[in-house]
Amino acid sequence: MKINFYLIEFAINSLLRQRAKNFFIFFVLSLLIFVLASFFFVASSIKHELQTTLSALPEITIQKLRGGRHVDIDTSAVDKILQIHGVSDAVARVWGYYHFENAGVTFSLVGIDAYEMQYKESLQTIAESFSLEEGKPSMVVGAGLYEVFTQNGYEEYFNFLLPQGGMKQIAVAGVFDGATSLESNDMAVLPKEAAREIFEMPSTKATDIVVKVANPEELPTVAAKLRLLFPDARVITKEDLEVSYQNIFDYKSGVFLVLFLVTLLTFFMIIYDKTNALESEEKKEIGILKALGWRVDDVLQEKFYESFLISFFAYLTGIASALAFVYVANAPLLRGVFEGYSMLRTPFELPFVFDLQTLSLVFFLTVPLYVGAILFPSWRVATLDADEVIR
Amino acid sequence: MIELKNVTKTYEVRKGESVHAIENVNLAIGEGELVVLKGASGSGKSTVLSLVAALSKPTSGEVLVDGKQISKLSDDFASLYRRENIGFIFQRYNLLPNLSVEENILLPLIPSNPDSKEIGVRLEEVMERFHIAHKRHQKAKNLSGGEQQRVAIARANINMPKIILADEPTANLDANLSRHFIEMLGELKSANTTIIVATHDPLFFGLSFVDREIEIHKGTILV
Repeated sequence: MKINFYLIEFAINSLLRQRAKNFFIFFVLSLLIFVLASFFFVASSIKHELQTTLSALPEITIQKLRGGRHVDIDTSAVDKILQIHGVSDAVARVWGYYHFENAGVTFSLVGIDAYEMQYKESLQTIAESFSLEEGKPSMVVGAGLYEVFTQNGYEEYFNFLLPQGGMKQIAVAGVFDGATSLESNDMAVLPKEAAREIFEMPSTKATDIVVKVANPEELPTVAAKLRLLFPDARVITKEDLEVSYQNIFDYKSGVFLVLFLVTLLTFFMIIYDKTNALESEEKKEIGILKALGWRVDDVLQEKFYESFLISFFAYLTGIASALAFVYVANAPLLRGVFEGYSMLRTPFELPFVFDLQTLSLVFFLTVPLYVGAILFPSWRVATLDADEVIR
Repeated sequence: MIELKNVTKTYEVRKGESVHAIENVNLAIGEGELVVLKGASGSGKSTVLSLVAALSKPTSGEVLVDGKQISKLSDDFASLYRRENIGFIFQRYNLLPNLSVEENILLPLIPSNPDSKEIGVRLEEVMERFHIAHKRHQKAKNLSGGEQQRVAIARANINMPKIILADEPTANLDANLSRHFIEMLGELKSANTTIIVATHDPLFFGLSFVDREIEIHKGTILV
């Protein structure tokens, strides 16, 4: 089919004839698309990040509870756990958070023993790549955390305030590239002994115990056995954590999405309502075109070009702005919707996730709806007797 | 060429209340004829033009053009019929005020997506012929009544129609411009175009090049 450029030119001129009104619509639509796309981009990135984090989680974590609160667990439990059939390894972890008052930042401290089998691949890499035990105590920090350190004058070491008073100086042995990782960006890895000192934790205690199960099929059985063995402890499987994280994430994003879709729907209803009660000038124009030999199809095609041009350019503008907002500016404000209060405050860059599904979803939620809201009322006028419309 | 057989057109003014715009009208107009339909306002002249242009359908009876029953055409075919056969000059010109002279004149050709060379030649020709070329880039809303009238005539001729329908074409013109319009009609008549003018302007009565004057009164043709 030959493209009718005259019709496209007519549509463009028609848009320009009412440029103030059309620019306003373009602006509002771009803004809505920008917010919607930004929301989806942030959601995809964080979900992707969360997935990466969750996949690296230990299969089972055991936390001791007292009064419903998480307290340190006896390291002697490790031996009992190792006797359960199906358990391939159990590691007593020493970890916690440290609040760096000057920078207003809270970061994670993870203690490792270089000779120990690490429960996570990333820690294994760190243990193999850096020597934390030689000479004075040292640590390896995430890139985000290192930035905070250097901004506060701690380039080579950091002074930790100890609970009983005094300070513990730990040298920075290296920085691991964690720019795109939620978990590692805010983390410092140091020898277990140093971590114990900072947390004031005796060597007979650990923060929690992680358990490796060789056969994933046996995971529920091992978890059940652990619950029997430690009735005062919380036994969390990887699956529990995944569901819990997913629920929080879906709840937050769901509430936001519902609110936003209501706004979007309202906008289209206003547009539809406005077009439905076409101004007499617009009605007359359609009547004149019909009287001059334009078919209903021609009128609709012209209206399609008009509405498509405005909505498609609004879509492109909205998407481009959202990409810049999310991946260049790092989505200020909007990121908070997903992060919540427990999120560490160190810088974290949202990883770029090219998701064709998201782009298509935003497209189908906006462009065809806008085109439809314009076409339907125009069709109603175009199918009337031209004579009736002109008179 | 144009035949109206027992045509009645009724409009519903309110629910359950209707008026006959024309009633049992029989009319035949030959090819190349220039016919003046005269009568007072509301006599039904415009309704006859509207039916011949297939802008509306008769309540009963038949409207035939070149033997084809145009009153039975679907909306799309009626549009095609107008595009290919009819040039309509409306009483209030019905130009799109924010379009330029050129753009207004080209409106009937846009849907048929013509060749750009052909369109250019045709546009120049009609603009020269109806003395509006010097205003080609002006917006219609900035033109005088006479200029708007010339644009309307040029637009009615751009598709080289077989039939030109003019509805009260001089209603908004002064005597001088009206006479000028009548001269242009004479030129069109000489090109063998069938022309129907609906008017109550006495300037059209008794003209040498008018083939027939038909009077309509209260929706019926006076013999």
